[in-house]
Amino acid sequence: MTITRREFSASVLAAAAAGTMPGAARAAEGGKTIALMFDAFDSDFWITGNTILKAKAKENGWTTLETISNRDQNKQNDQVKAMVERKVDGIIFIPTDNNAAIPAIRTANAANIPIIFFNRPPAPNDNKYVAIQADNRKIMQTTVTILVDLARKQGGKYKACLLMGDLGDNNAVQRRDGALDILDKNKDLVEIVSRVATEWNADKTFAGLTNAIQANPDINMLISPSDSEDTIIEQVLKTAGKWHKTGEDGHVMFAGFDGDQNGYRLLSTKYMDVNGVQNLFYEVDLAYGAFKDIWAGKQPDKMLIDPGFAISQATLESKRDDMWGYHVWKEKNK
Amino acid sequence: MGGVLPASSGGALSRPMRLVRLVLFSDYLVLALTVLYVAALWFAVPEIISPTNLNDIFLQVLPLFVAAMGLMMVLLVAQIDLSATSIMAMSCVVGASIMTSQGGYLAGHALAPVAAVLAIVAIGLLIGVLNGVCTIVFDIPSFLVTLVTMMFFSGAAIWYTAAHTNSGSSIGALPSSFLAIGYGGIAGIPYAALITVGLAIIVHLMLTRTVFGRWVRAVGLNPSAAAISGVPVKRVVIGCFALSGLFAAFAAVIYTARLEAGTPILGQRILLDVIGAAVIGGVSLFGGKGSVIGVLIGVLFLSAVDNGLQLLGLSLSSVYAIKGGVILLAAVVDAIRHHLLARG
Repeated sequence: MTITRREFSASVLAAAAAGTMPGAARAAEGGKTIALMFDAFDSDFWITGNTILKAKAKENGWTTLETISNRDQNKQNDQVKAMVERKVDGIIFIPTDNNAAIPAIRTANAANIPIIFFNRPPAPNDNKYVAIQADNRKIMQTTVTILVDLARKQGGKYKACLLMGDLGDNNAVQRRDGALDILDKNKDLVEIVSRVATEWNADKTFAGLTNAIQANPDINMLISPSDSEDTIIEQVLKTAGKWHKTGEDGHVMFAGFDGDQNGYRLLSTKYMDVNGVQNLFYEVDLAYGAFKDIWAGKQPDKMLIDPGFAISQATLESKRDDMWGYHVWKEKNK
Repeated sequence: MGGVLPASSGGALSRPMRLVRLVLFSDYLVLALTVLYVAALWFAVPEIISPTNLNDIFLQVLPLFVAAMGLMMVLLVAQIDLSATSIMAMSCVVGASIMTSQGGYLAGHALAPVAAVLAIVAIGLLIGVLNGVCTIVFDIPSFLVTLVTMMFFSGAAIWYTAAHTNSGSSIGALPSSFLAIGYGGIAGIPYAALITVGLAIIVHLMLTRTVFGRWVRAVGLNPSAAAISGVPVKRVVIGCFALSGLFAAFAAVIYTARLEAGTPILGQRILLDVIGAAVIGGVSLFGGKGSVIGVLIGVLFLSAVDNGLQLLGLSLSSVYAIKGGVILLAAVVDAIRHHLLARG
C-alpha cells in the first residue's frame, strides 16, 4: 500500500490538531483545581463518592481532575507527582496502602499542595495532611446494638456469622472490632459460630458464607461489613433456603454497613434489619471545608470524623434522606 | 544508526516500502517514537518537558528497567517468567520483616538493612532457580511453571505479611538508611540510578563479551543446534531464570525503598509493563534477540506514555486501552520482523 505525500501531511496535521484540543480547553478553565485520586472503583460507595465530590466541587466553582491507580500504590504515588506538575490546588487521596502512601504526602507537602485522605487515613506520620474518616467502630457498635436489641425482643438464641472484609484495610478491622465489642457483651444471646474474611472479594464472600452455612445450618444472624457484599449474601441465603423477610419463619437477622442502594433496597423490602451508614455527604463537606480552611491559612484538625449513623426498618422513613444509597436507589428507580 | 536490512528476496522494492523496511528493522525506532510522542503531547501538556517531570520519568524508569532486564534474560532463551512481580512481593515483605523497627527480626540493628537486602536478593535468586529447574529439568512449559509460582508466592506474601503485622496490609517503619536507596544519592546521582546503571553494565558486558552471553543467544535462536554444539542448554536456561529472579529482587529493593514499606501487592499491576517494555525494546518473544539499550528504550517509551496519559488526566480505562494497544503493536511488529528475517 502506498501513501501519498498529501495523505501523510493531512494525517500529521490531524494528529497535531487533536493534540492541541485538550490544551485549548484547559486554557479556558478558571478557579481552583482539585485532583480526585482513587485507588479503585470497586464498590458503589466509591462510585457515588466520586460523583458527590465532583458535584460539590462544581457547586464551589472548582474543576476536578481524576486518576485511578487500580490498587497500585507505586503508580498512585507517581500520579501525585503528575498532579503536582499540573499545579492542582488540592488533592483528595484514597490510598491502597496506608504505609506506602506516606511518600505521596511528602510529595504534596514539598509542593505546598494540601492533601486530604478520604475515608482511609494514612499510617501515623509527622507530615502535613488531613484525614476524613468514618468512625467505623462506633457506627458498627450502634448497628449491632440495634440488631441485638431486635433479637432480644424477638426472643430465642442466635448463631451468628461475622463477615470481616479485607483485614488489611483499617476500615474492615474497625468494623470487625465494633461488632465484636457488642457481641462479646451479649454472649448469653448470640454465639459467633463463623468468621469469614472476605477480602472484599465476591468469590471469597460466596465461598466463605456458603461453607459457613454448610458447617452451621442453623445460622440465624449475619453481620456484613459492607453492602457491596449484599447481592452475594442474598444469593447464598436464597440457595440455602434462608432468605426470608422480617417476621417470616426462618428470617436471618441481618445487619449491613455502608448504606448503599442495596442496603436501602433490602431494608425497605424487610430482608435487612439494620444498616450502618457512612454519611458520604457529610464527609465530602468535611473535606472541602478543610481545603477552604487551609487555603485561608488555617490548619484544620488532622483527623476529621464522620460519626455516621445506623438506620433500621423502624427509622427508614425519617433517616433515609441522609443515606447516600437511598438517593442512588431513587435515581435508578424513577 | 540503524539495523541491517535483510537481503531482498528479489524484485525491486518501491521507495516507501524500502523506507518501511528500514524503519521496521531500525533498533532506534522506539526511541524516535518516544521523542515524537513527547513532542506531540507538549502542545497539550507543556509540563511534560519540565525538569521536575523529566526527573520523575527518570526515577520511574529505574526499577522497571531493572525488572525488564531480568525478564529479557528469560526471553532471550525463548522462555517467559510470569512470576517476576510475585518475586518482588515475596522478597520485599521478607526483607521488610527483618529491618522494620516495629518488631523486625533485626530491629534497630545497624546491619538490619544489609541483612534485609541480602535476604531480598537471596529469595529472588532461589525462586528464579526453582522456576528454571522446573522448566528445563522437568520439561514443564515455563508459562505454566511461572504462572503457578506467581500464584503461590503472591498468596505466600499476603500470608507472611498478615503473620508479621497487626494491620496486615504492609510492613512499614523501615530504617532511614534503607529508605535512602529510594530517595538519597551521592554527588547528585540517586543511589537507585547507581544500582541500575551498575546492573545494566554487568548485563551488557555479560551478553556481549562473555561466552555465557553467546550461549544465551544460541539457545534462544536454536536450542537443538546449541546442544549439538556443546552448549550446556539446561544450565544456561536455569541461569537465565535465576537472573530474572535476581533482577526482580533488585527492582523490589528500589520499589520498597520508594514506598517505604514492604507490601504483598508490590508490582502486582506491572507485569504487563515489564514484559511490554522488553518487547517494545526489541527483545524477541521467539528468543535470541535483545539488548540492554533496547530494553532501556522500551522502558523509556512506556514510562513516557504512562506519564503523558497521567498528565492528560485520562480515565484508567483509556490508559489501559492505549498501553495495551501499544504493547500489542510492538508484539505484532516483532512477529513481522521475525517472519521477514526468516524469509531473508
